[in-house]
Amino acid sequence: MGQASGRRWTALLRILWVALAALLFGSAARAETSTLDQIKQRGTLRWGADREGGAPYVFPDPATPDRSIGFEVDLAAALARELGVKAEMAQNAWDALIPALERGDFDLALNGIEVTPVRQQRVLFSRPYYVYAEQLVVRSDEQRINGMADLKGKKVGTLSGAVAQAMLEQIGGVEVKTYAGQGEPYQDLALRRIDAVLMDVPIAAYYAKPNAKLRYVGEAVGEGLYAIALRKNDLALQQAVDGALERLLRSGELKRIYEKWDLWDARQDKLLAALPAATAATGPASAPATAPAVSKAGTATLEQSRAAPLISFMPTLLRGAGVTLLISTTSMVLAIVLGLVLALMRAYGSRPLRGLATGYIEVYRGTPLLIQLFILYYGLPNLGLTLTSLVAAWLGLGMNYAAYEAEIYRAGLSAVPRGQLEAALSLGMTRAQGLRRIVLPQAFRIALPGITNDFIALFKDSSLVSIIALVELTKAYNMLASSTLRFFELGIVVAVMYFAMSYPLSLLARRLERSLQGGRR
Amino acid sequence: MIEIHQLGKSFAGQRLFQSIDLEVARGEAVALIGPSGSGKSTLLRCINGLETFDSGHIVVDGVTLQPGDGSAQREAVRKIRRQVGMVFQQFNLFPHLTVLDNITLAPQRVLGVPRAVAAEQARQLLERVHLSHRIDRYPEQLSGGEQQRVAIARALAMKPQAMLFDEPTSALDPERVGEVLRVIAELVDDGMTTVIATHEMDFAAEVATRVAVLDAGNIVEVGPPDHIFRNPTQERTRAFLKRVLRRHAPSAAELVDPNALPADSASSSLPPAVQ
Repeated sequence: MGQASGRRWTALLRILWVALAALLFGSAARAETSTLDQIKQRGTLRWGADREGGAPYVFPDPATPDRSIGFEVDLAAALARELGVKAEMAQNAWDALIPALERGDFDLALNGIEVTPVRQQRVLFSRPYYVYAEQLVVRSDEQRINGMADLKGKKVGTLSGAVAQAMLEQIGGVEVKTYAGQGEPYQDLALRRIDAVLMDVPIAAYYAKPNAKLRYVGEAVGEGLYAIALRKNDLALQQAVDGALERLLRSGELKRIYEKWDLWDARQDKLLAALPAATAATGPASAPATAPAVSKAGTATLEQSRAAPLISFMPTLLRGAGVTLLISTTSMVLAIVLGLVLALMRAYGSRPLRGLATGYIEVYRGTPLLIQLFILYYGLPNLGLTLTSLVAAWLGLGMNYAAYEAEIYRAGLSAVPRGQLEAALSLGMTRAQGLRRIVLPQAFRIALPGITNDFIALFKDSSLVSIIALVELTKAYNMLASSTLRFFELGIVVAVMYFAMSYPLSLLARRLERSLQGGRR
Repeated sequence: MIEIHQLGKSFAGQRLFQSIDLEVARGEAVALIGPSGSGKSTLLRCINGLETFDSGHIVVDGVTLQPGDGSAQREAVRKIRRQVGMVFQQFNLFPHLTVLDNITLAPQRVLGVPRAVAAEQARQLLERVHLSHRIDRYPEQLSGGEQQRVAIARALAMKPQAMLFDEPTSALDPERVGEVLRVIAELVDDGMTTVIATHEMDFAAEVATRVAVLDAGNIVEVGPPDHIFRNPTQERTRAFLKRVLRRHAPSAAELVDPNALPADSASSSLPPAVQ
């Protein structure tokens, strides 16, 4: 499972900080009073999850969006009751659940976290609470795809950082499109932007099953386990949680919860089978995280990537950097041209043109870029206009920044004395000639520092387009870091790459400023 | 060449011009004098369409400009600007262009003169304003007087039939005034039709064929300099001249001597209470 966070850029900062904190202070420092004792004293079990991750795990109640519902909400409540306390959810970006757990933001992370060897190195896993598998979904009228083997050469959507992504990459020759949210891949599938979607059964059951335009292909594949993640040294808590899960399984309460969410299937019998024969307490040594049927394809890839030298990530990161560069430069060209048109409309246009330009600028400055991107990419198809993600990113960033450019130009234009245009006019030049030859060159020189500034800001804002299924540098980082948990070193590499792209830009702009200035010295 | 008939203009509810009549014949040099705010600049700016007016009309070289700013007026203004050059108080040279480009831009863009021809013409004009050695400089590298002489050359490059000077020396250091006035005097001597708004009474007396006195938006008196400066018929003319001049009749010798330029005499002639 992944997360639909539209807040990756803040998540990124947080991840870096958390990684740094974890590195500096380590997680062993907090072993004074055990987490279990703290929970009992506090009377609450704080469990971390991302409610933006989506249904049916933890998601906003459609009736009262402030409330979270989902099978994991029910599970957490039952678990807390077994421990004699109340459950309290802590919202956290899914990508950063483990770093936040280590930092001590909550007692445990319970949010469709797949048991993988990489994660086992970082955290303690409880007994598994769900056996998931990956379900392949295609459009109802799809003829070509009848199984996993048919995916070569096709565009397949999945969640960023999920085991399914690794499985798809393992096949080879599959064009994997990764998403941050769970609903979006199915939407893109219905819109024919992609050919198939491979995601966890619970997600498919919630988003794809009811959609008449989509259908399942074959049986779910690549079984794996969801388990609760605990801090490495919380052995007592692990024992308590395992005991509670065992009781919930034996009593049939867990089955009732899953049935409520239409999630119970034959695979879940394995949870019962894995229970110890005796009722003796489950020791940490018998932690069932090593239980059967973890997706072999996925774990093999993850294990490799965890041990891999940094250089092996470079192709992915460089490709991401290429996309970042492409999007920012093309968007900036659009922003500069459109911004100029808007500024001229506003400064010299007729009243309706002036109003139009002012309206555009106010609306674009007054609404979040993220919403604009969502509307362009996911909203316009409702009106029959389906843009590719690259075009949507170009338009989204370009049109947004045009509003800011327009204001910078306007400041530049109004800084040019009136007498300049009057002199041009009195020499017989037309207004257009006067603007182009006399006013604009001077305005541009005044506006240049602001334009440079905006370009660098746009350059970094380009990471937002990852929400519309583009793998630019930040997204590439996110994918790699969340699957390998190497947030820190990869973060430094990516930061250096961003800097290596933006700094020459500053230098170039400074030289341009100097040469424009130098012409007058 | 330039005829102004019953020109009326209001701005923000204020009556700027009641009804102004003024004719400037070809080859004539008319000086507009009068207190600050009397409308000298505005009148000039009306002639080449930088300002609109409300009533009356202006005829320049056969082109009639009516009140308002419709498309007919824009067309008339376009034609008038081709015939009439203007020089501003603040020079308004283009700071991002060299002296050469300041002069050649309009001939190239407006008249379609080839660059080489425009550049050759610019060289001749710079010689005429005694600035050949400044051709590759940028405006801010020049003194105010030099900038104003470049501005004159720039206007002349369009081969105008008439020139409007809007207080061309008011923004200059006193020691720079003479060089600019000398260039203007040479132009007038060559027969250029000229209207100049100025505070330089000596210059007006020396160079103008006629002097028009503006006060509060009206022309109170028009006549040859001798008549205006020695025997003004209007009380308001006398009052104005009394304020700006120590003596009435300046001599030609004083014009050549920079120390006698009115920028000094005007201030020293102010009553002590004002100084």
